[in-house]
Amino acid sequence: MYPSNVIEALDSGHWIAVMTGYLVHLAVIAAYMYGLEAFKGQNLIQICLNSGKLIAAALLLPTAAYLTIAAITTVRAYSEIITLVFLSNTPLWSIMLLLVAIAGYLASLGLEAIFRTGVMLAVLFIPPLLFIVCTSFKNVDWHYLLPLADRESATLSFVAKRPFLESLFAFAGGFLFLGFVQPALAYKRKRVLQASMLLVPMFLLSVYVPLLTFGRQTASRFQFPYIMAIDTIDMRWIMFERINLFFLLSVVTFVTLFLSLLLWKVSRIVSLNKLDGKLSKFRVPAVAVLAGAIFIVCLQIPDWERVSELMWWNTYLRLYIIVVIPAAVLVLGIRRRRKVGLHGMER
Amino acid sequence: MAIIDQVSERFKEDADYICKRTKLGEVPATVMALGSLIDMPRTMLHIGLQTRQSVNPEQLADALAGGIGETLISPDADQLAAHLTAGRIIAAFEGSDIHISIAPAPKTLTRSIEAPLTENVLSGSVSAFNEDIDSNLGMLRKQVVSERLRALSYQVGSDQRKRISVIYLEHRVNRRLLDAIVRKIESRLELDVTSLQSLNGLLGLSKWSIVTRLNSTELPQQAASAMEKGKAVILVDRYPFAFIVPSLLWDMFDVENDRNYPISLMYSIRLLRIIGVLVNFIFPGLYVALVSVNPDVLRIEMALSVAASRIDVPYPAFVETLILLIILELILEASVRLPKSIGPTITMVGGIILGQAVVSAKLVSNLLIIILAATTIASFTVAGFQNAISIRVFKYIILILSAVFGVFGLLSGLVIVCGYLASVTSFGIPYLHMARARDDAHG
Amino acid sequence: MAWRGKARSGFVLAAAAALLLVLPGCWDNVDINHRSLPIIMGVSKHDGQYKVFLQIPEPSPHSDKLRIVSATGDTINEIINDISTNMETRVDLLHLKIILFERSFAEEGVNDSVASFMRGRDISPKAIAVICNEPLERFFERLTKYENRSGLMLYHYFGENAGWNPQLARTRIWEMFRSIHSYTNDVVVPVIQSGSSTPIASAGSALIKRGRMVDLISPDDTLLINVFMGRGAQGKIEVMDHVDVLIVGNRIRHTASMSGNAPVLKSRLRLKVSVLETKGDLNRATIEKELDALMTKRFNRLLEKMKRNEADILGLGQLFRTVLPRERLADWRSEYLPRLKGDFQTEVILQNTGNLKLDGHEEGNGTGRKQGGG
Repeated sequence: MYPSNVIEALDSGHWIAVMTGYLVHLAVIAAYMYGLEAFKGQNLIQICLNSGKLIAAALLLPTAAYLTIAAITTVRAYSEIITLVFLSNTPLWSIMLLLVAIAGYLASLGLEAIFRTGVMLAVLFIPPLLFIVCTSFKNVDWHYLLPLADRESATLSFVAKRPFLESLFAFAGGFLFLGFVQPALAYKRKRVLQASMLLVPMFLLSVYVPLLTFGRQTASRFQFPYIMAIDTIDMRWIMFERINLFFLLSVVTFVTLFLSLLLWKVSRIVSLNKLDGKLSKFRVPAVAVLAGAIFIVCLQIPDWERVSELMWWNTYLRLYIIVVIPAAVLVLGIRRRRKVGLHGMER
Repeated sequence: MAIIDQVSERFKEDADYICKRTKLGEVPATVMALGSLIDMPRTMLHIGLQTRQSVNPEQLADALAGGIGETLISPDADQLAAHLTAGRIIAAFEGSDIHISIAPAPKTLTRSIEAPLTENVLSGSVSAFNEDIDSNLGMLRKQVVSERLRALSYQVGSDQRKRISVIYLEHRVNRRLLDAIVRKIESRLELDVTSLQSLNGLLGLSKWSIVTRLNSTELPQQAASAMEKGKAVILVDRYPFAFIVPSLLWDMFDVENDRNYPISLMYSIRLLRIIGVLVNFIFPGLYVALVSVNPDVLRIEMALSVAASRIDVPYPAFVETLILLIILELILEASVRLPKSIGPTITMVGGIILGQAVVSAKLVSNLLIIILAATTIASFTVAGFQNAISIRVFKYIILILSAVFGVFGLLSGLVIVCGYLASVTSFGIPYLHMARARDDAHG
Repeated sequence: MAWRGKARSGFVLAAAAALLLVLPGCWDNVDINHRSLPIIMGVSKHDGQYKVFLQIPEPSPHSDKLRIVSATGDTINEIINDISTNMETRVDLLHLKIILFERSFAEEGVNDSVASFMRGRDISPKAIAVICNEPLERFFERLTKYENRSGLMLYHYFGENAGWNPQLARTRIWEMFRSIHSYTNDVVVPVIQSGSSTPIASAGSALIKRGRMVDLISPDDTLLINVFMGRGAQGKIEVMDHVDVLIVGNRIRHTASMSGNAPVLKSRLRLKVSVLETKGDLNRATIEKELDALMTKRFNRLLEKMKRNEADILGLGQLFRTVLPRERLADWRSEYLPRLKGDFQTEVILQNTGNLKLDGHEEGNGTGRKQGGG
């Protein structure tokens, strides 16, 4: 979905779109983490709650709404994709049930389990993914790389248009979880920034491989350009035929992980972090109820048009989140540092 | 005397109860013991040697206290009975409250140190633990000749008393882990430990867990290397296994004896084990997914030959696979129960006749037989019998999911299994613990 | 703790129960021996009605049979559906490897069909597009007579590790689709018919512009196209007046520029050849000259055809992306291609002369050259 948005947004010079999105992401993450570091050992919810009811409501409610809608659109969109690509007779609800059930199960296991599962899945699935990505270069015609930029892309005039804003979903959803992991896990700021640099080649590839294979005119007609690009590779020596199946499914496993993270975040926000200690036995049912609710909502969405609409609405929320939350955290962090600094000096 | 009569009353129906009046040194005494546990003549000889000059019970007690005897002042019948069942010999004296519990020359009721039964060693020491906890502890001490080896000992159980030892290297062990174990044991000393399930209960670990939290091994060198890594080893009396706490995922692939090979070979063999586990999980599900739900993934030549092999098979691929898997499990279970004399015959029956005949009768396709044979063999490439059983369970989950959802179900099953493994913790140490917990920063 | 464990296992049990309920309705679960996997599909159109032929292999443990099924209808999907209804197995187009268009249909325009193939998920875009020079019934009949195993003969005909030859074009459906929408790319599609002693014979290649067959080009020109596209010409034998050579390597370099309003293309082809047959006396210079002249003649002939039909099958427009801005490229075919000046030169490297030396000690024809010493 991301490549089709970016390809649609521009005629050429797509790397500018990718880099712009990435720079936005980088700025957001840097601000966010800088702010978070001032509050050692507290997660986002605690920070918000401690800063007053109004701030908490302004920050947490949209976040919860955004995360929920993101979960719904993700489930619905990916089930649709799966049905489209290879399981045409299986009804949508069963695929959604499976996705939601697995995500719910993972979410009920807690944050540490989610991360460990992530590491294991990475070890298992990244080699095949890398292999497929490398082979996807077989059919590219490098001539399509030119021209590198044109007036439209150079002046960043595409930023205001709908396809580009929608494409930001790929960047925005992820950074929030960084605010939730403390106090359970500690991370170094630099490591996170370095890891996020890995995103750049991935995104560039996902946009450019279809462009280089098909040319912009043709590629802009595809719903899922990267998958089509992989579909055109013909490799005689592998025992499998439709490799794009494996690619897509590996991506879906990571999406399931992402979903479970979303569910977990929402359950934490909704419970206002209070489900510790005595009430911790309600954690699992909370996740179950949330998962069930998401599933039921997904059932109500009849077609792809609605999904697109929902994603567009979510874009407003996402812009709010991208701008407001890191800014707020940054401001709070700076304030806190000053306060602590003052105390330090007084002593 | 009253106490002696009480004790004799307890054991009056036991044919092996001995109660004799004899002379220890110069002192007349009543000797009580359970004859099935001790070697009477040798014991009396030893006691006689120690007590030649004693003329009264106190002297006897002094003489024996330095060596094989333990003095009990005014014990009650329960205590005496406990000592008797623990295999000691009790000497009681007339007119004196002193009772002496003497360690006898025991009957050899344990087999000698033999080769391991469930693990095979190609180039390494072949002595395995046996049922006696003291010899096990001795073997461990001989393996790890270090003055920092600590062995805590507990007597647990109310109905049946068992000795349990917790052994660790004090400069290496994970302190949090050790404290948790010790706390758990000391708070539940009255629980009976009769099996691995009850041991799990004693340590507060879930009995329902598919994945074993206690890594059992018969080899001292395995236990020693585990202690070096900071784990604790638990020995239970009458169990020829050492239980390593905690068990980690990597223990399935890491066998201490690998280090006796060159490093490149060691890594290759470990890689082979990992491939074995993956094959075991994936193959049955992959077959069903590729044959029934997503045949577009196969190459056309292979698709045609698979279709040719499945002509006239009466039921769908999923049922076929399930039936054959159950038959294989039956064969495995039967081969465990078989007496050694009939074993080879049944193997022949199972392998050749079942395999060949079932294909000729067109009940299953021959491709499936190959796949399932590969799966079963692969499931035993992991180290540890308990682990092999665990992974056999997981493949059914993946099979069912892939029958319904195809390759998507296969991968979802893998996600579920990974998630489950990620959630297992023992004493706060997760199953997937490697070095340090690193988090990922997925965007 | 116990509560949470129970709740979690409740979760798992619920999911398991859901799965079991779901099991009876295994929707996509159709065993492979209950599916028909056609490999070749033939499409023709007469009087607005489509007719579709499917060649379906029927595997069995002892022999493989082939079945040809055909039906007519208004759209291709409808026809497939009909066929599937009437057959005892489910027809799955997943393994379709070759799509055969009848020539009349190709001349009319296959745009819609190609678009529907790309849109639908069940036909792989890797399928090879082929045009058939004779009526499909006859072609399939003759093909089936020859084929007694698995029906992969036509597939292997185009297989790179099997029977493919650089004189055959090989275009996949996605490349056709790309050519329909691209500014600068057109494709050639191989044309076949049933042969006299072999089941399949090549009849050249068809020039496809925006989905319509507009011209026919010879196999030699197809070789040139393949060379241009960078596909190897190894193993191809060139026949000239005095000598036959085997091409063992090729490399091509282009320089694109604009002179005024006309694009100028300079191409240098480097051919490594090895001598196969000679007639009469020859030396290196002659061979090189002849080969160069032959190649240039062919290239110019091809360029003429391209200009006449305004079809850019060599992908020349791609080379001009550095020189022309993109908006102008949209008119490449109509504006710039007709004005293209092409300068084509061949550099021949005689890699070896086989087992014999070149400068002749041919039988009786000697003019006193040195005797070969061995």
